[in-house]
Amino acid sequence: MNRHPNRAWTPPRGRGYAAVLLAAALLLGASACGGRATTHHKPGTSHEQATGSNGRLLSADDGSGNRLRQVDAQGAPEVAVTARPDSEDGWNVHLSVRNFRFTPDSVGGAALLGRGHARLFLDGHPLARVYGTWFHLPKSLLRAAGGGTRLTARLYADDHTAWAVGSAPVQAATTLGGATSAPAPAPASTPDATAEISIRDGKVDPAPGRTEVRKGRTVRLLVRSDRDDTLHVHGYDKEARLPAGRTVTLTFTADRTGLFEVETHETDLLLTQLVVR
Amino acid sequence: MTALDDSGAVSVLAHGIGAQHDLPLSPFYAFAGAFAALFVSFLALGLLWSASRFRGDRAGRPLPVAVQRAADARSTRIAVRALGLAAALLVVLYLVLGPADPDRNPAPGAVYVLLWVGLVPASLLFGPVWQLLNPLRTLHLLGCRVLRRDPAAGRPLPPRVGMWPAAAGLLAFTWLELVAPDPASPTALLLFLGLFSAAQFTGAALYGARWFGRADAFEVYSGLLARLSPLGRRPADRRLVLRSPFNGLDATPQLPGLVATVCVMLGSTAYDGFSDAPSWITTVQTSALGRTTTATLGLLGAVALVAALYALCAGATRLLSGQLAHPLTAFAHSLVPIALGYLVAHYFTLFVTEGPRTVMVALGADNPAPPEPPLGPGGVATLQVLAIVLGHVLGVVAAHDRSVRLFPPGRAVAGQLPLLVLMVAYTIGGLALLIA
Repeated sequence: MNRHPNRAWTPPRGRGYAAVLLAAALLLGASACGGRATTHHKPGTSHEQATGSNGRLLSADDGSGNRLRQVDAQGAPEVAVTARPDSEDGWNVHLSVRNFRFTPDSVGGAALLGRGHARLFLDGHPLARVYGTWFHLPKSLLRAAGGGTRLTARLYADDHTAWAVGSAPVQAATTLGGATSAPAPAPASTPDATAEISIRDGKVDPAPGRTEVRKGRTVRLLVRSDRDDTLHVHGYDKEARLPAGRTVTLTFTADRTGLFEVETHETDLLLTQLVVR
Repeated sequence: MTALDDSGAVSVLAHGIGAQHDLPLSPFYAFAGAFAALFVSFLALGLLWSASRFRGDRAGRPLPVAVQRAADARSTRIAVRALGLAAALLVVLYLVLGPADPDRNPAPGAVYVLLWVGLVPASLLFGPVWQLLNPLRTLHLLGCRVLRRDPAAGRPLPPRVGMWPAAAGLLAFTWLELVAPDPASPTALLLFLGLFSAAQFTGAALYGARWFGRADAFEVYSGLLARLSPLGRRPADRRLVLRSPFNGLDATPQLPGLVATVCVMLGSTAYDGFSDAPSWITTVQTSALGRTTTATLGLLGAVALVAALYALCAGATRLLSGQLAHPLTAFAHSLVPIALGYLVAHYFTLFVTEGPRTVMVALGADNPAPPEPPLGPGGVATLQVLAIVLGHVLGVVAAHDRSVRLFPPGRAVAGQLPLLVLMVAYTIGGLALLIA
């Protein structure tokens, strides 16, 4: 099943890889000088633009040695995972993906946006690589992985880098409940509420609504404006510059309950309301 | 870069004061509140007294003479007037000389939170306090003394004027707070305060100091809320008395413009509620008419809706009860507690968070964080529903007593039905606004 069991990643044709790395390094350097956020930035929230359509390699990895490949939130691959008990043995796992195709024929090649494969992890331990939307997970495999209940599916490019948005890998998790063991909700490393908003010609898309989040969880705002502006989260007093045409990520912990407005200063538009309960 | 940042920070705060809003009410609380309101309404119809019990102005138990003497002492009055004048002077100085950033200037908070919202608890506890604190009245008094004029001298106020100027002033102030493009900017506030003071001084010069009691929006607002205060003054013997809020309410003078004033209070608070709804924000942000025009229409529409419902109800009352000269004004006092319920539900959190913050800024703290609200989300929701339902109950009782006094016994129950329906509509509307 796994054609490269002992290799964390396979480098694509050497020169191409070096070029991508160089471009990424240049961009990283360039963006570090300009477009800095004004205030209150949690470490790890960056405002750099992703390069081209194949994303930008981050220095961070996915926890098992594969580097992250960051892409714009808009049109980024998405995944959701469900598991239902099989009548005979183990679980049937279903992945539903958006903006993503499984490409078993080109695995090991260069990364192309929206293509690749998925990997399954049980409590962080690698289980299997998946080339389609359905996968049968036998109990023997669960035992071999040391057991656990938290099943995570993460999307990878053909070059075995993990697709990422806002420095966090594109992944979904579910709990294998029932017979295995008591469900233990693991602390999620991904944001608990994400709002993607774009502003064009003074119009907010999607139209201003409410983003619900539980107190103490993290909120991630991905905002792109067609003109220079400032993003402001009332109450938390978070601010970030919005350079024209770039997607800016603002991540923070929602530690006050209430209804807070997220808006732009120059155009004075309400983007969304955070409902923190 | 610094210059850019600074100018960016100046143009802020589209929503006046207050970075935090209360959470939308969960439907459970709203349904519980609506059910309680309906239940109490029909209970009132069947169980409440059939002969009027409230004695208005004549009621009350006099306070000890020593308390009255201390409260009425010349030195107390002068001290309170001086306090009001000094605070007003401080606010104007902060507006003229202070920083333009509303996070670092206490003046906007002083006007919108300490004055506007703070008048509610102050009037409920101590009666019509703004009459004494009003810096315009004090300045008029001082001006008359300098010119050796009698402050009360002036033409009598035409009876038709009533409280109409106060209703207009309230509408102007709520427009500034809820609709104006930049309500917290010192320029806007100075402009409003300047125009408002000019209008008040002109009126006082023509009609004497009595003008303030009828036409100063803040005095009328404070005076109407003070009708529900347990502390009052009996006109017959000028004694300070403890009295039931119902008696105070019953003594509300039935002046022209009273309905308009109460409708502005209800309508503007209602607008403040639905202007938080994302759908309304989308409408305002995308309207072809421009934002300020759309928001103005929204505010006027809310006031007009409240007023139209009231007029409809007054017409129905007249039809049901036969001859009643002024059904419109006769029951307007019973809306004051409902307006109070709206005010408490909408502004409690603002007052307890932004109020202390404003004081901290005035004392020199640089952009301090507002204190944590004393009530959690569940507590706030309970308080909101209780305020609205309690306001409803007080209104129903006040209207019931008035109707058994005005209507012949056979028609009293039927006569108050339209009003009861109206109050249920206002209350359910108020709860619905808290869900939105």
